[in-house]
Amino acid sequence: MQWELDSERPVYIQLIEQIQAGIISGVFKPGDKLPSVRDLAAEATVNPNTMQKALSELERIGLVYANRTSGRFITSDEAMITKLKGQSAKEQILDFIERMKQLGFSPEETLALVTDIVKNGR
Amino acid sequence: MSAILECKSLSKKFTALTALSNVNLTLERGRIIGLLGPNGSGKTTMIKLLNGLLVPTSGSILVDGKLPGPETKKIVSYLPEKTYLPDWMKISDTIEFFQDFYPDFDSKRANEMLERLHLDANRRMKTLSKGTKEKVQLILVMSRNADLYCLDEPIGGVDPAARDYILNTIITNYNENATVLISTHLIADIEKILDEVVFIKDGNITLHASVEDIRSKEGKSVDTLFREVFKC
Amino acid sequence: MLSKLLKHEFKATARLMLPLYLVLCVLTIVDRIALSIEFKGALNVIPVFATFAYGLSIVAIAVVSFVIIVLRFYKNLMTDEGYLMFTLPTKSHQLINSKLLVSFVWNIASILVIILSIFGVMATPDRMDLFRDGYQMFISELKQEFGAFNMSLFLFEFIVLMIVGLINNILIIYVSIAVGQLFNGHKVLGSFAAYIGIGTVIQIVMTVLFITLGVLFNKSFSESSSVPQIIFPITIGFLLLTNVLYYWGTDFIFKRKLNLE
Repeated sequence: MQWELDSERPVYIQLIEQIQAGIISGVFKPGDKLPSVRDLAAEATVNPNTMQKALSELERIGLVYANRTSGRFITSDEAMITKLKGQSAKEQILDFIERMKQLGFSPEETLALVTDIVKNGR
Repeated sequence: MSAILECKSLSKKFTALTALSNVNLTLERGRIIGLLGPNGSGKTTMIKLLNGLLVPTSGSILVDGKLPGPETKKIVSYLPEKTYLPDWMKISDTIEFFQDFYPDFDSKRANEMLERLHLDANRRMKTLSKGTKEKVQLILVMSRNADLYCLDEPIGGVDPAARDYILNTIITNYNENATVLISTHLIADIEKILDEVVFIKDGNITLHASVEDIRSKEGKSVDTLFREVFKC
Repeated sequence: MLSKLLKHEFKATARLMLPLYLVLCVLTIVDRIALSIEFKGALNVIPVFATFAYGLSIVAIAVVSFVIIVLRFYKNLMTDEGYLMFTLPTKSHQLINSKLLVSFVWNIASILVIILSIFGVMATPDRMDLFRDGYQMFISELKQEFGAFNMSLFLFEFIVLMIVGLINNILIIYVSIAVGQLFNGHKVLGSFAAYIGIGTVIQIVMTVLFITLGVLFNKSFSESSSVPQIIFPITIGFLLLTNVLYYWGTDFIFKRKLNLE
């Protein structure tokens, strides 16, 4: 997995975002076992305590669960992942509409433009 | 359990300059801590004091509650800024050396790391490039199960690939309950692996804070903060 | 810890000394053979060369034995390697002990090896007889001069003097190097200055001491028994005292004033 982190924002929040993105895009599949905190931290070149904090947060919201003996796993609850996907899609769309506004398009104009492009393939 | 490192009114004066003046600092266990400051700010003096290579002019420095000596050297794994392995030694000799003197040295771990680098243990130190020598030293230092790892400028002047290797080696190998103290002036490169930072300027500690606190409270990276604090 | 320091110190020095001993051993045999054969004409240069090479190897051993004293101490403790040695979980005096003991052993070994090899080149039955006669004559002359008791004392003290003197030579180098590293940036120069300075002071003190003693024991100094009974004991005592001072000074600097660059 490719980690892209900047140092301006708290790193654990960025880690949560990126792991979520990984789950959505399928880098982490439902039920997959996660590498150890130490290995994940090394891979992302971040502090293990920070990685631990991010994973704890993901555990709290239920995307990841810990098995006392065998480590951490991605949730197998497909509904939850679908919900996360929906959430993420919504965020992206809202973000997109906001940017189109800055270009001077109203949401309706944006929608028309999107519909047109999708229909005509270009 | 006492703090892994405690400085009380610690001062070190040399004939012409005061390298550290009245430093009070306590470092807890289980953290990766950056000792950050420009060149000549007193970083190396501090590290030499904690390794018993210098004696304080006044005040005291305690490692695990003890003055620097054979007992503290047993639990401190120190990577100096120098290439300190005798050049006639083979890599295997250096492993034997560490094995003999440090009961916490894990030679299996050291050999595994060497293998991953495709380094032949029969090579002599003098045949290795400076960068490779530094990697061998890092491998030896990180193969100990120490309580305090003390790394002086571990990424000074290395290319990005080597830097990643070094940071990875540190993260993967340090002992869970140990503290890693990394002195450097290259903040941007390492700030993501730090829990805490200590800013040192002209022999004084000007800041000791958690890295995530700096990011969430100040909304800026440690590097940016450093540039502001140490602006010339 | 000392035993481990000794082990590694021997390892670091044996790689220099043992090959030299081996070379000397080979050249001893070569020279012995070359000297025993009658060469004719131009071939006469062979024994000359063999003897020359043999002499050179003896000089090499003598030089390297001395260089080991200086270099093992300076390079291993005062340069970058010092960062390794002074952060080992040992006391600083154990570092000194390991260097001192190993240097001492190599110097004694070199002397013995050289003596043995000279016998190896020279010894023939007639020469051994000659040597034995010479030795007996030497002993009997000593006995005549000193009397039996004083002669044993003389020989014993002579050996002690050699040992204490060798240690003295090593320790004065150590303390000079330790003092030299206080001069940051001019460590080698500082060491030489310290060596000459300390040497001069010791010379002066010793001269004053012996002049004073000469005045005090005016009469007995002219008797031969004064050598084992006064001069040797005082010299040994003086050397022992300076040994203690050098050792203590070196350890003090290591403990309190260490300043690696």
